[in-house]
Amino acid sequence: MPDHPLPDCFPPYDEAGQPQVPIEGYAATARRNPARALFRRPHTRTELTGPLDPAAKLVPGEGNLAVPGPGRVALGQLIHISGRVLDEDGRPVRGAVLEIWQANAAGRYANPLDAARDAPLDPNFVGHGRVATDAEGRYGFFTVKPGAYPVPGGPGRWWRPPHVHVSVIGPSSLSRLVTQMYFPGDPLNPLDRILNALPDPAARERLIARQTDPAEVEGEWLAYRFTLVLRGRRATPPLP
Amino acid sequence: MSATGSRSGAPLPPTGWQTLGPFFPQALFRDGVDNDLRRRRAGAPPTARGVPIRLRGRVLEEGGGPCVNALVEAWQADAGGRFRHPLDPDWREADPDFLGWGRALTDAAGRYEFLSVLPGGYRDAAGPRAPHVNLAVLASGVMRRLVTTAFFPGFAAANAADPVLSALPDPALRARLVAKDEGEAEGARIFRLDLVLRGDPETETPFFLD
Ligand SMILES: [Fe+2]
Repeated sequence: MPDHPLPDCFPPYDEAGQPQVPIEGYAATARRNPARALFRRPHTRTELTGPLDPAAKLVPGEGNLAVPGPGRVALGQLIHISGRVLDEDGRPVRGAVLEIWQANAAGRYANPLDAARDAPLDPNFVGHGRVATDAEGRYGFFTVKPGAYPVPGGPGRWWRPPHVHVSVIGPSSLSRLVTQMYFPGDPLNPLDRILNALPDPAARERLIARQTDPAEVEGEWLAYRFTLVLRGRRATPPLP
Repeated sequence: MSATGSRSGAPLPPTGWQTLGPFFPQALFRDGVDNDLRRRRAGAPPTARGVPIRLRGRVLEEGGGPCVNALVEAWQADAGGRFRHPLDPDWREADPDFLGWGRALTDAAGRYEFLSVLPGGYRDAAGPRAPHVNLAVLASGVMRRLVTTAFFPGFAAANAADPVLSALPDPALRARLVAKDEGEAEGARIFRLDLVLRGDPETETPFFLD
């Protein structure tokens, strides 16, 4: 294990760039966040460190959600999502485990917990994947554009815009990130209460992927780019 | 704005958090593997060092209902109090067969369980750390992970000196982060810590600023 610049700088999050709770119309946010203020704690070794090679435990797969087998292709707009995982200094984070999950093109999750609606399942779309970032922090997934879905329950029904859930396990416990990626120009984006839980418009904008110029796209996959910035400076891990 | 290419400029703002949502795929969780902190790799045997433990409990919302399909993530030192990480000056002595990281997906009753070994304490710049396991909860409605720490009974002096446990101002809150000893089963010591994400002041779990 070579010496390397240590992940020694984890300033507190800027609250304007992070979601605020509770969210009206999302009852779980009122039932599942502490009534008491969070306590400040020192960052000791346990907080600052993390597993160096999470991909050894969470084994990466193909990164293709849309073609589960020969001759089987999911319904919907075929898309490619790619980008980089960086630290706050813009350094690539290599070996991070990146997982995505999403609804199918009809707005239905292939999850038994999502069973209360008419939207159909697609036998050719399971809707989750896992990859590890390369030495330049790059990742990529082939998938379909997810459909929107209505949030169940309650008065004042609202809709989730098309979105892809993203989980990143990086080099430090403090650099953990779970977020959602949105699609540019969707009229549901400005109405989404979860996206709008971020007070800073620039922070919301950073959760919206950028579409690659279609003229530059070869093949049948519309392309989107989505950059993820993990908390922490000088946080690039050494090779294990 | 572009988020790339500013290697030497102002820091990039970290990406905003969003909730895990209710539909984290069960297929991304392998029970008995992902929640076993003793295994360095998928398929590797568990470490032979240390006292085997099972740390279990329930994740509960206001009113006592279960948080179903929530992730609980765990990270801890090995039995000797070391991390296989360059921030630990003694990382060369860390248990090479121990990972120390795992995650559990809660069941329909909100239950989680980790298989691990009793962590060792260590000296940190902030003070002497008692044996502990850091826990993070991700769930629908939780917009940013909620972090807390499990401590162990039988370490009263070490717990009293721990700089993170001491960050809680009230003895009743500190006691709430000490797991309950539930004896032994299946060759492991059993400890329980329920995680009450929201509740009345007498039951809510204390959580830390991340
Ligand atoms: Fe969703």
